[in-house]
Amino acid sequence: MQGLRWLRVTAYNAAAIALGVIAGLVVVAYAGGNVEVALSTLFLNPFTTKSGVQQVFVRFAIFYLMAMGVGIALKAGLWNIGAQGQLIIGMVMVFVAYIYLAFLPWPVLYVTMILLATLGGLLWIVAPTILRVRFGANEIVVTLLLNVVATNFGYYMLNGPIKSPIAIGYPYTATLPAKFQIPNIVGGFPLTYAVPFAIVLGVLLYFLIERTPFRVQANTVGESAETARYAGISIPRVMVITMLAAGALAGLGGALLQMSYFYHIDAGVFVTNWGFIAVIAALVGRKHIIGIGIASLFFAYITIGAEAMALQANVPTSVVFVMEGVMMIGILAGTYLAERRTAM
Amino acid sequence: MTVLLSDVLIGIFSTTLRLSPLYLFAGLGEIVTEKSGVANMGIEGIMLMSLFTTYAVDLTTGNPWLAILAALGVAGLIGVIFALLAVQMRLDQIVVGLAIYLSGLGLSFVLFNTFAGTRALPAFVNIPNVHIPYLSDIPVVGQILFQQNILVYFALALVVLVSYFLGRTSLGLRVRAVGENPKAADNMGVNVLKVRFLAVIFGAVLAGLAGAYFNVGFLQNFQFDIISGRGFIALAMIYFANWGPYKTLFAALSFNIVYATQSEFVSIASTAIAGSSQLFNMLPYVFLLALIPILGRKARPPKYLLKPYKKG
Repeated sequence: MQGLRWLRVTAYNAAAIALGVIAGLVVVAYAGGNVEVALSTLFLNPFTTKSGVQQVFVRFAIFYLMAMGVGIALKAGLWNIGAQGQLIIGMVMVFVAYIYLAFLPWPVLYVTMILLATLGGLLWIVAPTILRVRFGANEIVVTLLLNVVATNFGYYMLNGPIKSPIAIGYPYTATLPAKFQIPNIVGGFPLTYAVPFAIVLGVLLYFLIERTPFRVQANTVGESAETARYAGISIPRVMVITMLAAGALAGLGGALLQMSYFYHIDAGVFVTNWGFIAVIAALVGRKHIIGIGIASLFFAYITIGAEAMALQANVPTSVVFVMEGVMMIGILAGTYLAERRTAM
Repeated sequence: MTVLLSDVLIGIFSTTLRLSPLYLFAGLGEIVTEKSGVANMGIEGIMLMSLFTTYAVDLTTGNPWLAILAALGVAGLIGVIFALLAVQMRLDQIVVGLAIYLSGLGLSFVLFNTFAGTRALPAFVNIPNVHIPYLSDIPVVGQILFQQNILVYFALALVVLVSYFLGRTSLGLRVRAVGENPKAADNMGVNVLKVRFLAVIFGAVLAGLAGAYFNVGFLQNFQFDIISGRGFIALAMIYFANWGPYKTLFAALSFNIVYATQSEFVSIASTAIAGSSQLFNMLPYVFLLALIPILGRKARPPKYLLKPYKKG
């Protein structure tokens, strides 16, 4: 029975994703693009171009970190919609360290850049955590608002403290030199150590969370505060740990994103909506560390394909948002149908 | 250059009032929705879609009122979709809301891109401000209070109307009942799903009016992500206002005063603070967050908020 149920859930998820793809194609057709070319670009581009392959790998690593954070907090019933803001702070902190701590010797500075980014993401979620635990404030609203603040803060830093001295007009930062980039595993193949790093972290978190009593504690807090209190679980402790982990993971994602893909910040890097993808991946992966990994890989693949498709069909890349939105609803509806069938 | 204090004050307070309908329409609508036990996190997406609709219909027909009407229709339709998914099918309200936001964000820009294309566009026809006779001639105060867009006055009136509706009418009582205790309401013969459906659609239509107002009373334009989080801010305001219409008015006005003051300051002192304007842009949001420990402490959401209801 268990096996059949899994099959059904997978089938429903596949249907949901197909629905999202169809929505994307309808938009392409409406905007006057070639549907056939769009479809093949969507599915093949991530495999067939070097930049496609590279981006799938990097995005997988970043999505995985962010989505694990979202998923861990979700176990405790907390919605971190602010992974985008935490990612931005992480990226900014990489350059704060690189510019203002330049006196440190190379290996120390390298590690400091990563640690400071992680710390930045963690600090960015401290306010929502305190407001939630201490004042019962809705963390969805607070983390969302902090995205706006993070974007403004990022623009401020980009226009001043971390701006490249040679940037005139359109602001950008200096480019990280090769020794501060995360190297490829094999010479010319565009796969950096960021990917195995994310996977190792996933395995670590799997053993720290999925295989310990903490999972049960978090789930209990997430399902019913009353039960948790009755069982003697410290609700604030669970909330603080899961929220801070979520912020730190997204901040770390920012470091990996800069050090193994962008290597510099300009205004363009602030406008991704990866925080929402992290939420979708966490939900599709059913809040489970391994499931989230598979979902992150899939969304890395499909978003790269969709962006290439938009370019190819001369449609704004915002079509990707429509596809994501439809997929989200489709996946929920699938879960609903699956549960209804099990209930009958 | 000398700056007249009266000009600065007029600038700050008239911007404060001029921006209020945006938060009031969206916020008051969402209060009614949330009082019924349903949270629509997607109002930002609804605002974007209705803003685009206003833009397209206005440019096509040259009639801003028709544009608003079309925007309300689109918003209501999205409300129906939300209600079907979140109320009827009982899907997770937060996820459906975020999905509506994402779809609206993407779709509004794709539609705009196709609509605008490369052709020359006619001028946008907006709704002119009202000049209330005699009162608008009063110096300073008249310029602030009595020369606003008609929808500003409507938004202020709506604060009273929604408060009256929720507190004093039987339908308002039913809305609150299905949010506080749907089971008991059901037992008393209230059709829980129907009331929630209506509350969701009411909230969506008002979010649509917020988006439409932002265009006819303010922007007369469209851009990607033009609402830029203001729908989410309206959601936050309700929370600070403890789901009260008058407190929402207070939250909206105080947020707007901080916003207008900083933007006035940034434009006056632009050379002195060169490059730091974004830091000042953060102020209104930080101000709003700082209100939580003060105002949000006593916030008590409707008891069955976010909890789907199943008969039987």
